[in-house]
Amino acid sequence: MSTEPFLVLSALLFTIGAFGVLIRRNAIVVFMCVELMLNAANLAFVTFARHHGNLDGQIAAFFVMVVAAAEVVVGLAIIVTIFRTRRSASVDDASLLKY
Amino acid sequence: MSPMTALPVLSETASAVAPAQAGGVYSLLWLVVALPAVSAAILLLGGRSTNAWGHLLGCAAPIASFALGVLMFVSLLTRDAHDRAIEQHLFDWITTGSYDVDAGLLLDPLSMLFVLLITGVGSIIHVYSIGYMAEDPRRRRFFGQLNLFVAAMLLLVLGSDYLVLFVGWEGVGLASYLLIGFWQHKHSAATAAKKAFVVNRVGDMGMALAVMLMFATFGTTSFVGVSAAAEGASTATLTALGLLLLLGACGKSAQVPLQSWLLDAMEGPTPVSALIHAATMVTAGVYLVTRSNFIFNEAPTAQTAVVIVGLVTALWGAIIGCAKDDIKKALAGSTMSQIGYMHLAAGLGPIGYAFAIFHLLTHGFFKANLFLGAGSVMHSMNDEVDMRRYGGLAPLMPITFLTFAMGYLAIIGFPLFSGFWSKDLILEAAFAENLVVGFGALLGAGITAFYMTRVMLMTFLSPKRWADDVHPHESPRVMTVPLLVLAALSAVGGVLYLGGWVVDWLTPVVGEEHPELGVPVWVISLAAVAVVAAGVAVAWVLVAKRDVPREAPVRVSVFTTAARADLFGDALNEAVFMRPGQHLTRSLVYVDNRGVDGTVNGLGGLIGGASGRLRRLQTGFVRSYALTMVAGAFVVVVALLAANLS
Amino acid sequence: MIAVHGSVLAQEIEIESPNIAYSAIYPILIVFGVALVGVLVEAFAPRPRRYVVQTVLAAAGLGLAFVGTVLVAGDLPETQNGLARGGIEAEGALAVDGPTLFIWGAILLLSFFSVLLFAERRLESGVTAFAGQAAALPGTEAEREASTRGLEHTEVFPLMLFAVGGMMLFPASNDLLTMFVALEVLSFPLYLLCGLARRRRLLSQEAAVKYFLLGAFASGFFLYGIALVYGYAGTVTLAGIDGAITNRVGGDGLLLAGIGLMAVGLLFKIGAAPFHAWTPDVYQGAPTAVTGFMAACTKVAAFGALLRVFYVAFGGAQWNWMPMMWIVAALTMGVGCVLTLTQTDVKRMLAYSSIAHAGFLLTGFVGVQAATRDSDDMTSLVAVMFYLLAYGFTTLGAFAVVTVVRDSSGEATHLSRWAGLGKQSPVLAGVFALFMLAFLGLPATSGFMAKWAVFTSAWAGDAQLLVIIAVLASVITAFVYIRVIVLMFFADPVGEGPTVAMPSVLTVVTIAAGVVVTVALGVAPQPVLDLAHQAGEFVR
Repeated sequence: MSTEPFLVLSALLFTIGAFGVLIRRNAIVVFMCVELMLNAANLAFVTFARHHGNLDGQIAAFFVMVVAAAEVVVGLAIIVTIFRTRRSASVDDASLLKY
Repeated sequence: MSPMTALPVLSETASAVAPAQAGGVYSLLWLVVALPAVSAAILLLGGRSTNAWGHLLGCAAPIASFALGVLMFVSLLTRDAHDRAIEQHLFDWITTGSYDVDAGLLLDPLSMLFVLLITGVGSIIHVYSIGYMAEDPRRRRFFGQLNLFVAAMLLLVLGSDYLVLFVGWEGVGLASYLLIGFWQHKHSAATAAKKAFVVNRVGDMGMALAVMLMFATFGTTSFVGVSAAAEGASTATLTALGLLLLLGACGKSAQVPLQSWLLDAMEGPTPVSALIHAATMVTAGVYLVTRSNFIFNEAPTAQTAVVIVGLVTALWGAIIGCAKDDIKKALAGSTMSQIGYMHLAAGLGPIGYAFAIFHLLTHGFFKANLFLGAGSVMHSMNDEVDMRRYGGLAPLMPITFLTFAMGYLAIIGFPLFSGFWSKDLILEAAFAENLVVGFGALLGAGITAFYMTRVMLMTFLSPKRWADDVHPHESPRVMTVPLLVLAALSAVGGVLYLGGWVVDWLTPVVGEEHPELGVPVWVISLAAVAVVAAGVAVAWVLVAKRDVPREAPVRVSVFTTAARADLFGDALNEAVFMRPGQHLTRSLVYVDNRGVDGTVNGLGGLIGGASGRLRRLQTGFVRSYALTMVAGAFVVVVALLAANLS
Repeated sequence: MIAVHGSVLAQEIEIESPNIAYSAIYPILIVFGVALVGVLVEAFAPRPRRYVVQTVLAAAGLGLAFVGTVLVAGDLPETQNGLARGGIEAEGALAVDGPTLFIWGAILLLSFFSVLLFAERRLESGVTAFAGQAAALPGTEAEREASTRGLEHTEVFPLMLFAVGGMMLFPASNDLLTMFVALEVLSFPLYLLCGLARRRRLLSQEAAVKYFLLGAFASGFFLYGIALVYGYAGTVTLAGIDGAITNRVGGDGLLLAGIGLMAVGLLFKIGAAPFHAWTPDVYQGAPTAVTGFMAACTKVAAFGALLRVFYVAFGGAQWNWMPMMWIVAALTMGVGCVLTLTQTDVKRMLAYSSIAHAGFLLTGFVGVQAATRDSDDMTSLVAVMFYLLAYGFTTLGAFAVVTVVRDSSGEATHLSRWAGLGKQSPVLAGVFALFMLAFLGLPATSGFMAKWAVFTSAWAGDAQLLVIIAVLASVITAFVYIRVIVLMFFADPVGEGPTVAMPSVLTVVTIAAGVVVTVALGVAPQPVLDLAHQAGEFVR
């Protein structure tokens, strides 16, 4: 089976994630887009593992999942705190620090 | 002697004999630098408890260094002419494989003269400052900073390696910054200090690049190593080195195009001006060029550049000196001009190095004399600096007047005074090199005579123009005695050339070559005297024969306007660099109204404008930051792919 | 990594226990262990005791780890080629070699002094500079209550230790997966620490959000880059990638895109343009002690990792990534220097200055000057490591000074408030001036030796143009630093003027350490240069 379609899909997901970060305002959605990028990388890892016939990529995917889960913990803590303070989850509202 | 051949019979080149290791009295060489440095540390860190005796310690340190210097000088005299280079190794500073830098000191005839000048004239200025700064509550700190200045300058001239020299070089810059801004309550002083520092940094950049280039091409930065390696180096490398060193020299010595800081530097207390102008700081550039003779000798293009810079500055400074009503600024213009002469001489090669140093010494005497004299005048005139408010001071301040007169006669090159001998030699060398350079230098001598006569007349001789509440008086003994000493030196400094001594003394370091003139030497001397006489006469007609108005006349010729505005040096900076910068900034709400920095001059305006605009890119929005990152990532990846897969 | 040998369905599966040389990696384990103990302390120790226990624990743990690092460095084996010392440990996950240990030492020393800054209590009249109760909203009753009860978050100490552990892991990683995990381990605690300021909590929280979102974004790029490089080489170990590049297994596009994306992640952490946008905002918003810690330690760790990845794994493709890094270095210096000029907040100014310094460091990194057997000239590695240590101490000291210049609303970070500081407190202003002069690169300060080392090695490594740009840039920055000095000494105070609060011995020691190292490395840099030199090259 050709691995190419999976790589294309992975690149597509990564691009969607990156653009999502740029265009979405809600901090949670922005964060989800970042997670999408990580999962795009996971797909690439697994695909390449298949391509090379070794397991390194698959193991990498597991590690990334754990790291992403930890990231959710930290990220949600921060986002929820600022949401409670500002009554808004828009990343554009937090722009006191500039110039 | 070096094995070099194929040079004119008349010339003698510098010897490349390895310096002897320090022993005997020379083992105390480090003390020469350490004494003022330690004294500076004590005075600056000691706090108020040292107030009572701070100035005494501050004077004792350079005097002790001077005494040590004299001891070593006498001892050097007894040695063989080619065995007068002493090296003292202090510690291994940087050792990385093939590249070593010793923190070491080198005492040879060239640095010996500088040590004597710096500590000698420096000591006199220190003593004078006791009186001058008597009323200042921060006198102790002033002495601490003066000591720091002297220590840095001594390190500069004694370092045996370009990198050690560079440490002293930056130290001088820092100390001058502190001293020029000493009266920090004056806004103009703070601005002047900053300007001096920043302009000097431009020169330092040349210096730093030169040292780096040496390291990269020769693998060493010690004088001995570089001079050995320079013989085999390509002309292109040496020319680049020479030009970079010249840039450094221009910064420190206030040569065109980096001259603008010197006039502003007059904001410092007068003893500082004397120290900067006579014994330290501005002489560093001449020292650097002379010390690097092994580079410049092999790089004619760089030498020509030095000559041009020297000649232009000699005339530039002299013209500025003509139009200044501020006595210190007039003298500052003359310093620029005289240092220009020294660079001119040094740029001529072995023919002129010794003359440059000789002129540097005599200039050290008479310029210190003139500045301290001016300080004495200001001291009695309630710190008035405008010569239009002086006049008729000669009978009231006889000692100051007479000593100032000695300095005056020396600087214009009145026969038999010190300046006469040293300037005459430079003129000879200049004429031997090139007629244009010779006549340019001669013209400068005439202008010098004009503006110095003007200063003399406006200050001491013309009718009194000061207000009734000013009571001029002779200065205290502690100020007049230094003046007397310096006046004596200004008058008889020419003895250094007795039997060509100073030239012979320096030959082992800089080589020797006698000028070959088409005409007898006395013709040039006579021409010089004639030109000087003409300058004096013109000044007499223009200044003494008319009344000097108390206010500077507004309707003056375009030349006077130009000269008053420092030949538009700042205006040029402004037009080329600052205006476009201002246009850039105008559309932005960049008004630095917080007193952080009112004056952004030169390039600063442009960069500041760019900065003001660029910082608007930092919008505070996360998403725009993410956009810059994506754009950056895109560029990085595309650049990688494009550069490698095309 | 685990490789699959033969059939998984083999009759007898022998599970070998992994071979881990604890004797070589125990400094990391100490740090993580102490961090875990710190978590337990939070759970079980009574509240009033926690502060003292946590402080002592953190400081002792870091001190112990430092001693351990020195001991490990003492008996590093030489490798076969004689250029590097050390070995690959923990089943190929970690490279414990000379440069790793030098960087560990630097990070541990710097973080030890950061702990002292974290523990400063006198400036906020009896509590630390961290939020009393992060969950209490700013301006509410809950917050007031937390402050009257004198609550404080002592969790900052274990958090910081976790970050330190990640920082030690990062430059030691010998495969890209470990490196990614290390990057996240060092980042997560920092995200949280940024949001924990006691005062100006809105700014602090905003800094945390920005840092978190952008950091996660950047690590997304980093990870995708790893995936592409893995796709190219079929392995994630650095040596394996190097082998694949040397043999040119084909698919250059994959490799180059991978290098580019990984560079994004690493350059983000370093704060290089155009990935620098977070730096000023986060540096300004975060509690100053955290900013100092980040500025000093993160930079050391990230540069260590950058050097290892690009020299060891991508060394064979040096000519491919060099032009890109040239541009980044020049851009970083340009952006850092130019934008420093118009800053009016002292923390922001230091942030931009750190960007400029990242550019100078990149100059040393780009002018690759590797060690060879028959000469021991200044290598890029020696120069950059020396610079990192020198800069780390200077910048930590500078931020420590920022913590003590205060007015009624906390730290007075606006530069206009610093006017006339020299009259108020000549010693403190003098110390800050010293740090400014070190940033500027004045001889006899560590900044000069550091710049000198980096520029000369870069020059010898054929990056002359970049060195000239760097020298020009440092001339421009001179303007800024001098402006600050002028402001402190020559300007009159505006209004009331700043007050200089008397800190406890903790902050004083930190500032003193900054001064001592700044002067010592300027006057007698040789011992440290020797040490960096002995560290040798990376093991492969």
